[in-house]
Amino acid sequence: MTLSGRDAYRDELTRLAADDPDIVCLEADLGGKGHPFQAAHPDRFFNLGIAEGAMIDMAAGLAVAGYKPFVSTFAPFAALRAAESLKLTLGYLAAGVTVVAPYAGVSGAWFGTTHHCLEDLAILRSIPGVTIAAPYGEAETRAVVRAAVESGRPHYIRTGRNALYDSLPVDSAGIAGVELPSVTWEHRGTPGSTCLVSVGEEGTRLALAARELRPELAHAHLTYLDHARLALAAPELAAEHTRFTVVEEHRQEGGVAEALALLLPGCHITGVNAGHSWPTQGGDHHEVMGQLGLDLPAVLAALPNH
Amino acid sequence: MTLLEGTAIDLAPATSELLAQRAVEARKLVIDMAASPRGCHLGGSLSVLDILIAALHRAGSHDGTQVVLSKGHAAAGLYAALYVSGILPENPAPLYGQLGHPYTGHPGPKVPGVLFPTGSLGHGVPYAAGWALARRIGGRTGLGIAIAGDGELQEGLVWETCQVAAAQQLGNFVLVVDRNGGQNDGLVQDISPLPNLAERFAAFGFETAEVDGHDLTALTGVLRADRSGARRPLAVIADTVKGKGVPAVEGKPGSHYVTIDAARAAKWKRMIR
Repeated sequence: MTLSGRDAYRDELTRLAADDPDIVCLEADLGGKGHPFQAAHPDRFFNLGIAEGAMIDMAAGLAVAGYKPFVSTFAPFAALRAAESLKLTLGYLAAGVTVVAPYAGVSGAWFGTTHHCLEDLAILRSIPGVTIAAPYGEAETRAVVRAAVESGRPHYIRTGRNALYDSLPVDSAGIAGVELPSVTWEHRGTPGSTCLVSVGEEGTRLALAARELRPELAHAHLTYLDHARLALAAPELAAEHTRFTVVEEHRQEGGVAEALALLLPGCHITGVNAGHSWPTQGGDHHEVMGQLGLDLPAVLAALPNH
Repeated sequence: MTLLEGTAIDLAPATSELLAQRAVEARKLVIDMAASPRGCHLGGSLSVLDILIAALHRAGSHDGTQVVLSKGHAAAGLYAALYVSGILPENPAPLYGQLGHPYTGHPGPKVPGVLFPTGSLGHGVPYAAGWALARRIGGRTGLGIAIAGDGELQEGLVWETCQVAAAQQLGNFVLVVDRNGGQNDGLVQDISPLPNLAERFAAFGFETAEVDGHDLTALTGVLRADRSGARRPLAVIADTVKGKGVPAVEGKPGSHYVTIDAARAAKWKRMIR
């Protein structure tokens, strides 16, 4: 049985904190009842209430004092409501604060557009020095959390809601102190084939589904999405392919397809993303993605027919 | 002034006369910065100087107290206070606003003694509360002191933090309000007044104290307690005069940002007592 991204975060951080007394966990009233960190380490767990900006700025104070604060609230509130705090704390101060942001994309689905977040990558990617991760599956999420603890650098970790995903095999995912690779090749494809580039939980799910129907395609999964790491990933991608289709649950603007297009001007890069419209109806996660034109038919339609 | 929780601790001997000398020197440095090509936020830098010097004096006891100037536009006052308090090793006035030096119009962490970037108003308050929380988690002494302007209290982030600080029983968190009555576009009372300010803080669960923000003895007195056992955060409302020390601008909202020439700077510096 696998865990959702946000549950994997909670469990891994709780486990790590048993051996690391500097880890503290902050929530803004959205951590849910029965948070495992609260049960295991009540003296280092703080529900600060509905105060996202204060939470992230306070985390800066904790980090400067030598602690390793992990703060979590829904992505729309972390990335947008507290955007200035992210700029000052994660960016300019380079404080060792990790922001874990569930409900990214439209995983908030029927809760409505206030609970959607299709802009966080654009905001965070424009703040230099922040490590941005969008892990897929439990193993990768745990690896990302471990890396954040060990690094002492500012991190933004994007997850969905409660959906479960089977992790891709990653050799280094379970090894302490070893960062995940810049590119995880799920399938290297045949020479000349188009390469799907998957981002985040749903982007990766769609890419895997597309490859079931088009097994000749290559598929590269990216865990880290900040400029520094995409700059490492880009030449590795270009060494194997020249045509890429990026699948991401984010708007085109500020997303990974745009970033790769600038990093790989000699390559042909297209994107399947959330476009420019706003969901106006209810539905579950996949139905709301469908309203945005972000589904398997859209991915297949974006691919060449060779 | 109300009776405060906590136990007074012995501080390194430093007389109010010594601190007053620091204040005089610092005011002259602020005027020098107003005479730079960039000018500076003169009125608020001069109003907050005595508070800064008293707070840095408390931090000088090396018990883990940190001071955050949340009203970051008063950076000139902060640089001057850090210098005269012996924390900043170089005179910032000739370097203020200059390429190659960190003394920008709002302070950043490249300046010795500055832990947090401030200037977007409100943020220094939760930064200091986070510091206070860290001290408490570790069972350590020391205060997290945030110094905010009264205009700054219009920011919701301040009150968000007050709510959190009270809920977390951060007795070692101290918010000092430099109540000079002015803000960028005029008087606080004309733009967004703050009636019953002490009562507001009390309603949030704070202890409160009201002091003359230019009385160094009163300021050091209210800031000297070991509050590690206190359960309520402390709000100190310090009444100050915008442009304090320069009669030509004292109490005038127009002193908010000033650029002057060298002759006027020399004249004003002669008036500083």
